Amino acid sequence: MQYLALIYGEEGRWADLSPEERESEMGEYMALSTADVTKGGHELDSVATATTVRVRGDETLVTDGPFVELKEVLGGYYVFECDSIDEACTWAAKIPAAKHGAIEVRPVYVDGGES
Amino acid sequence: MKYAALLTSNADDITAWEKLTPEEAASARAEEIPKWEALFNELGPTGVFGFSAELDAPRTSKTVRVRDGETIVTDGPFAETKEQIGGLIELDADDLDAAIAIAARIPVAARASVELRPVIEH
Repeated sequence: MQYLALIYGEEGRWADLSPEERESEMGEYMALSTADVTKGGHELDSVATATTVRVRGDETLVTDGPFVELKEVLGGYYVFECDSIDEACTWAAKIPAAKHGAIEVRPVYVDGGES
Repeated sequence: MKYAALLTSNADDITAWEKLTPEEAASARAEEIPKWEALFNELGPTGVFGFSAELDAPRTSKTVRVRDGETIVTDGPFAETKEQIGGLIELDADDLDAAIAIAARIPVAARASVELRPVIEH
């Protein structure tokens, strides 16, 4: 089963970290990125770069910014291959942002099967 | 440029969807799937689309926080918002305008929205 771990956190936080703290956190992310359980994932550019697209009738409406304004923003994601959502949650807990923000773990839909 | 396209669904649509009988849901899916297949069949071979995933309903999610060394897991999505992330497509486009043109063709753009975020390449 694949699970998407959506990483939410406060955006300004990284700038406030010391170089040592950044290095240590980056090391934790790199370790997760190369773990066997991890099948994909990306860091996203800041929410200021987000563009939201909607089509209503024949018209394409483009707005700057995310589809929803939240205090803690989506900053990236991992794709985990796990046997259960509980196992995916134990991996999510290893993501550094879990300590100050939150990780939403969502099963990837499998046609014909309730996950 | 590589973008992550976050595909959203309306909370009302999700609620309505979950009230369908299995037969009704199967028939609604059968109607929806050809639109997606047409898009993927056209753009898939061009290498525009990378990883993609349709996600299970927000109610199936769990949210994980670690506070003072303790892992706290709650049921449900991180935020209860009118539009909820329902899928993800990584796409490669020459620039933002090209990405917008592709996003506008993703079926959910007509009902909810598609958020484009540039991906940071490490």
